[in-house]
Amino acid sequence: MTRPARRAAVAALSVTTAFALTACAGASSSGGSTATKVNVSTTVPNDPVTLTLAYTNDPPTKALIDGFTKKHPNVTVKPQMTPFNDYIKSIKLAMSSDSAPDIAQYNPGAMNSLVPAGLILDLSPWSKAYGWTTKFPPASLEVLSSDKSAKQFGTGSLYAVPGGLSVLGVFYNKKIVKQAPKTLAEFEAAMQKAKDAGQTPLSNGALQVGGFHLWNALLNVTGDVNDYRSWVYGKPGATIVNPAASKATQTLTDWAKKGYISAGASATADADALASFAKGGSAFLITGNWAASTLETEMKDDVGFFLMPTPSGEPAKVASGASVAYAISSKSKNPNVAAAFLDYLSSPEAAKIEFDGGFMPVDTKADLGATGLRGDIAGVFAPVAQGNGIVPFPDFASPGMIDKLTPGIQGLISDKMTPDAFLKSLQESWDAHHGS
Amino acid sequence: MARELSPAVSPPRAAPARGGGRAAAGPPRRRGRARGWLYVLPALAVYLGFAIWPALNTLRLSFLTWDGILPPVWAGFSNYIKIFRDSALYEAILHSLALIVFFSVIPIAVGLLMTALLMGKVRRGMTFFRIIFFLPQVLPLVAVGITWRWLYGESGVVNQFLDLVGLGSITRAWLGDYGLALIALGLIGTWVMSGLCMMLFLAGAQKIDPSLYEAARLDGAGAFRQFRHVTVPGVRREITVAGVITTIAALASFDLVFVTTNGGPAGQTNVPGLLVYRLAFNEGDIGGASALAVVLTVIVVAVVSAVRYFTRDDQS
Repeated sequence: MTRPARRAAVAALSVTTAFALTACAGASSSGGSTATKVNVSTTVPNDPVTLTLAYTNDPPTKALIDGFTKKHPNVTVKPQMTPFNDYIKSIKLAMSSDSAPDIAQYNPGAMNSLVPAGLILDLSPWSKAYGWTTKFPPASLEVLSSDKSAKQFGTGSLYAVPGGLSVLGVFYNKKIVKQAPKTLAEFEAAMQKAKDAGQTPLSNGALQVGGFHLWNALLNVTGDVNDYRSWVYGKPGATIVNPAASKATQTLTDWAKKGYISAGASATADADALASFAKGGSAFLITGNWAASTLETEMKDDVGFFLMPTPSGEPAKVASGASVAYAISSKSKNPNVAAAFLDYLSSPEAAKIEFDGGFMPVDTKADLGATGLRGDIAGVFAPVAQGNGIVPFPDFASPGMIDKLTPGIQGLISDKMTPDAFLKSLQESWDAHHGS
Repeated sequence: MARELSPAVSPPRAAPARGGGRAAAGPPRRRGRARGWLYVLPALAVYLGFAIWPALNTLRLSFLTWDGILPPVWAGFSNYIKIFRDSALYEAILHSLALIVFFSVIPIAVGLLMTALLMGKVRRGMTFFRIIFFLPQVLPLVAVGITWRWLYGESGVVNQFLDLVGLGSITRAWLGDYGLALIALGLIGTWVMSGLCMMLFLAGAQKIDPSLYEAARLDGAGAFRQFRHVTVPGVRREITVAGVITTIAALASFDLVFVTTNGGPAGQTNVPGLLVYRLAFNEGDIGGASALAVVLTVIVVAVVSAVRYFTRDDQS
């Protein structure tokens, strides 16, 4: 009599069991083997090949795909775009699934679990075959190399190569500031002058990443880059509690006290700080070259760019930057073709595409013929990149670092945290990840 | 009107009973009960699959060390111990308890006040008022948050208004102020929740028998005493419902905080939901995030039970 009910109960049970099984499968099928032997080759076969490429909304990717497939008409690259916020969360699952994309945009800080899980290929054999160490700026490859546990960077194997770089610096409004300051003291004087004239010296989005970008830019010019590099790459025993970082932090605190950075910065998003600067609301804005196209459109010739000036006045040798990088899935059936795409990223032809897409080209010697704001950026970027001076942002140092950096800078700006306490809190997060 | 509606509603509701009557050949009660389960099953399956199962799974994950990809490792209670040792949790809980005042207590008071003002007086403009006050509920909280971030900005409307009325000396970036950010954030919640409370109370108050008001008036009760002795007891159940909904919103708040302050300045507006998100998606510590989510659930259930206990109907 109750047969239909029972049948329905069985159906319901099997539904839930199916949920249970799939959920378990999702949790346990990962971590597979890496030992697929690949015959490394630098030639692209003439048979039709289809690759899938997962990426997030960075502008040059699609143009780079078009450029590559024009050269190799038998290759089809299917792009799969995911908005940035969802990308980091979904790509790990996508890469561990059976239908993993052949090539994936890769962020070594946020996606480092792909390396120990063996889900992306060690690119060292291709790097040797193609000579990538001379084609890509060495500093840009350093960030993408790591040990097997992906805790220490700048060592071990190469897991991705960049398809466009970015650089952090200072934009200035030429209507307010006549000339780019040459020393840190001149920069401060220019901010004071703007303040005295009743203008906002510096737009800053300390609600998001703007605050620690400012700190990072100062840190790059206050001390030895090797200390910072060891720390951000997770070299055993490294610490951020050092004199250079103290000086940078103290400078930021002083600027806040002098009114160069307003308390309102803590509630200002990066996009709002950019918008305020673009409307002529402030003299300076510290952010990356990714803001250039917006600022060019809004401000025309009234905007310029310089790297954070050094105390001594010699040109800055170090700047922070990031890259759009691409890795190859260890499940790819055509790793050689995928590697050919990665190699294409270093070509002069790709350099033009990367630059037009708002990034700095991987081929730092490419002639870009840029003028105006883009010319300013290209002019200061090339020597730094060629001198191996591009370093990663500080949130790279450990997974929880960004949650120490953002509130920490807000604490400094609102004078509720001392520079020492700030640096100690960063080191705590570092120690928790790397072991003290 | 509500009273007239109820008889009309009853016959269809009785329909299943007729079905049960037809089956009276067999053992009637057992048979009817089995049929009842059959009707419930599809919903039950969805509920089990999408609410109970994920909840149990979260509980399971909270005992594992897992980054989302590598094989999980049994962690025992270590995730819980780690969480309870972190002072950030206690601050976050305190902040969300403070938010209850702004998300729950004030909106219920405002809702009752609006109900008192609108009851029995405004007839024509009622729909208009309802739409206006319910609007914050319809907007996605992310849009609400971004809009309020601008309103609260250094040169935002809030400060422009203060300037206009001669309070220019207290203007500031409200959400960036170390001491006032939590209050500023809470007031956004008040704005969002007041309309919901008012709607609930108005709906409840319309069920109240008009003769009760008439009797109260005859006994010489003024507007305040009518409100106190007729309206408030009449919407008691609605107050409980509003209390529960808004308290959960305060304790589990995430989206509004995420877009307005992201826990800032310097952690002054951290809430547990934000910490869960950071653990899971910034630090890749799924086990720790699940443990914190379980703790948050326990807190929500405890506080909501307390709310229900204190607002319970004395008769039942």
